[in-house]
Amino acid sequence: MDCLQAGMLSGKCCLQPTKDVYPGFEGTIAQIRELPPLAEDSESRYSRTDQLAVLAAQDAMANSGYDRSALRESGVLMANTVGGLTEIDTGIAKDPAAWFRRPGRLLRGASFPVAHVADVVGEHFGFRGPRCAISVACASGAMSIALAANMLLDEAVPIILAGGSDPLCPFTLSGFNSLRALDPNPCSPFDQNRNGVNLGEGSAVLVLETLAGATARNAKVLAVLRGWAMTNDAFHTTAPQKEGSGLADCIRLSMEMAEVSGDDIGYVNAHGTGTPLNDIAEANAYETAFRGRRHPIPVSSTKSYFGHCLGAAGALEAAITIMAVRSGTLLPTLRLTNPIESPGVDWLRGEVRRQPLPLAMSASSGFGGSNTVLIFGSGLS
Amino acid sequence: MTPNLAPVTITGIGSVSPYGPLAGLIPQRFLEPSAITAWTSPGLRRAFLVPPFRPASVVPGLKTRRLDKLSAWALVASSLALKDSGIDISQVDGSRVAVVFATAFGCIELTEAFYLSAAANGWNGTDPSTFPETLASAPAGHVSMFHGFRGPNVTVSNKHFAGENALLQAASLLRHGQADLAVVLAGDALTQSLYSWYEVAGLLSPACYNSDPLPEAGGFIPSGFIPGEGIAAFVMEPSGRGDVRSEARSYANIRTGRWASGGQPPEIIRQMLGDSVPSLTICAGNGAPCATHPTAALAREISGNNAVIIPPQPFALGLTGAGALFHLILALGSRPTSGQALLLGTAGEGFAALLLELP
Repeated sequence: MDCLQAGMLSGKCCLQPTKDVYPGFEGTIAQIRELPPLAEDSESRYSRTDQLAVLAAQDAMANSGYDRSALRESGVLMANTVGGLTEIDTGIAKDPAAWFRRPGRLLRGASFPVAHVADVVGEHFGFRGPRCAISVACASGAMSIALAANMLLDEAVPIILAGGSDPLCPFTLSGFNSLRALDPNPCSPFDQNRNGVNLGEGSAVLVLETLAGATARNAKVLAVLRGWAMTNDAFHTTAPQKEGSGLADCIRLSMEMAEVSGDDIGYVNAHGTGTPLNDIAEANAYETAFRGRRHPIPVSSTKSYFGHCLGAAGALEAAITIMAVRSGTLLPTLRLTNPIESPGVDWLRGEVRRQPLPLAMSASSGFGGSNTVLIFGSGLS
Repeated sequence: MTPNLAPVTITGIGSVSPYGPLAGLIPQRFLEPSAITAWTSPGLRRAFLVPPFRPASVVPGLKTRRLDKLSAWALVASSLALKDSGIDISQVDGSRVAVVFATAFGCIELTEAFYLSAAANGWNGTDPSTFPETLASAPAGHVSMFHGFRGPNVTVSNKHFAGENALLQAASLLRHGQADLAVVLAGDALTQSLYSWYEVAGLLSPACYNSDPLPEAGGFIPSGFIPGEGIAAFVMEPSGRGDVRSEARSYANIRTGRWASGGQPPEIIRQMLGDSVPSLTICAGNGAPCATHPTAALAREISGNNAVIIPPQPFALGLTGAGALFHLILALGSRPTSGQALLLGTAGEGFAALLLELP
């Protein structure tokens, strides 16, 4: 987290041109070059999705101050969209049985289901609580946090690790490429000349527990999840509803849960993919949801730093929103020179802005129309 | 910890299964697996397959041409469940309806098709209309779009307890006022690569390879399982809400539930049950042959040797993690009863247990 914060505060952009994901692809992505090795037992194989998740969970646990034994009854809710697709090549298409008979392929196949990553995290750390994967396209990471919060309220688990993990792989890159959704250059979310998305990869995991539980153990409370909501556009498979009404409803519901008004929210970490359709719908949603606010709502997209990490995006952006609340730093959108005209929105660009930030919001949307909004507050106040 | 769930009621059931598309409970009829013809195999291969049907013949106006069959079935099953519930959708506030979908493998049919197109044309020549339909959440998205449901739209996945998980997540959304009505779906489609994986892993029953009739006792098929496919849908409402609708029925109330990956299942379940003494246990096996006997053993440990146990149904066993809703539907159809029941599944050291009240 410290590295992430330092990198972003310095304005470091991880997006780079590449040709090496699959033959014929040329574009801009954010790729993690090297992952630290992880010990696997002989009966399992960790896909890249799994590796990213385990590493993020390791960091989250260290940050929480818990040792592994104290987290034994923890649940795991891990979002992803890719699952073990990184482990499967096109050779499977013609004769799956022959493909699976080759050495090591059964284990590769076993990592295909999106649920595998939750099992890997649970097994790796010996957690005995419920394990589940959430897969709602690009809203997955945020939704895992919202559903985990519901489970805490239900007293179904005492502690839960929630987040998302998704790697780059030819399957998804090819899919977005076929949809002509990729910007060949570094993306410029919310710019009038935006040209699409850049894909990235990563993972973020939060350790969630009730405030009462955290205070009882004198935990370092990084942030309080004050409100959350989930809605669906019920409009189109890939396109958001143009007026952003589903996201606007989601924002309204999350503020109702948190018992706050639009004036109380100091910053929105937007979904901000850089696609023409998403960004205009999102701007419209902010206009609607924050109408009546005294000042335009500060908004930025941090996908301009490390691309769109799909199922991990909502969790990563939740972590960045928490960093913003804790440090009072509002990160600008990179390469935003000519913002969408939206009088109710204060598009953050240029320098990092520093101000007290009691409450901030993270918004996520995805294919299939899903929206999730999370509101984080600083500490116990 | 004891989960703190307000009771919710199952008021509508729909399904697409080897029994065909159906509203309400599935009539009792012993089911034999059928021969797979969708792909070529070196000999006979059998599974519990959904018979071909035209979705528009069940749900007039439904267009499913570009969809994965799992999405098409989700639309049919949800429509049948809503019809069965007697709810007039035109009178429902769509923003207050949640969709919760459970799957173990997602839209694997079009995922295979996408790999085929990449194998044939290279990764730069894949089909743009296929890609978004490969997402595990595509069926739930289509259900929201088709019915105009704008509440939470959730897709969950778990190797063993996806169905139970969906029921508990939906109950939670209703309890927290995040929705007034929930459509819960669970299911999977069977494809060549999935069947091949089971086969190479040695998980299949000998019954997959011969045409001998299955033993009618059902459930305890030795040495492997028979893969299945299908999708079940429940309409769930907070308990008591159905009272205001004269046509509403209650198939079951879900009182509470618990699932975990380890620990001491008997103690945890007893704690969950409190003073409740279920007189019936519905085994929700998950496809793993090793899970059937431990589930029955756990049921006896909790409820005593005289407890009535409904064994897992071979077809629902074949749905692995997404089979729980079918286990419940088939059990409700097989044994009209009232009182408290436990829907119970085990896998390794893990378990899922839901306490039900059968009216």
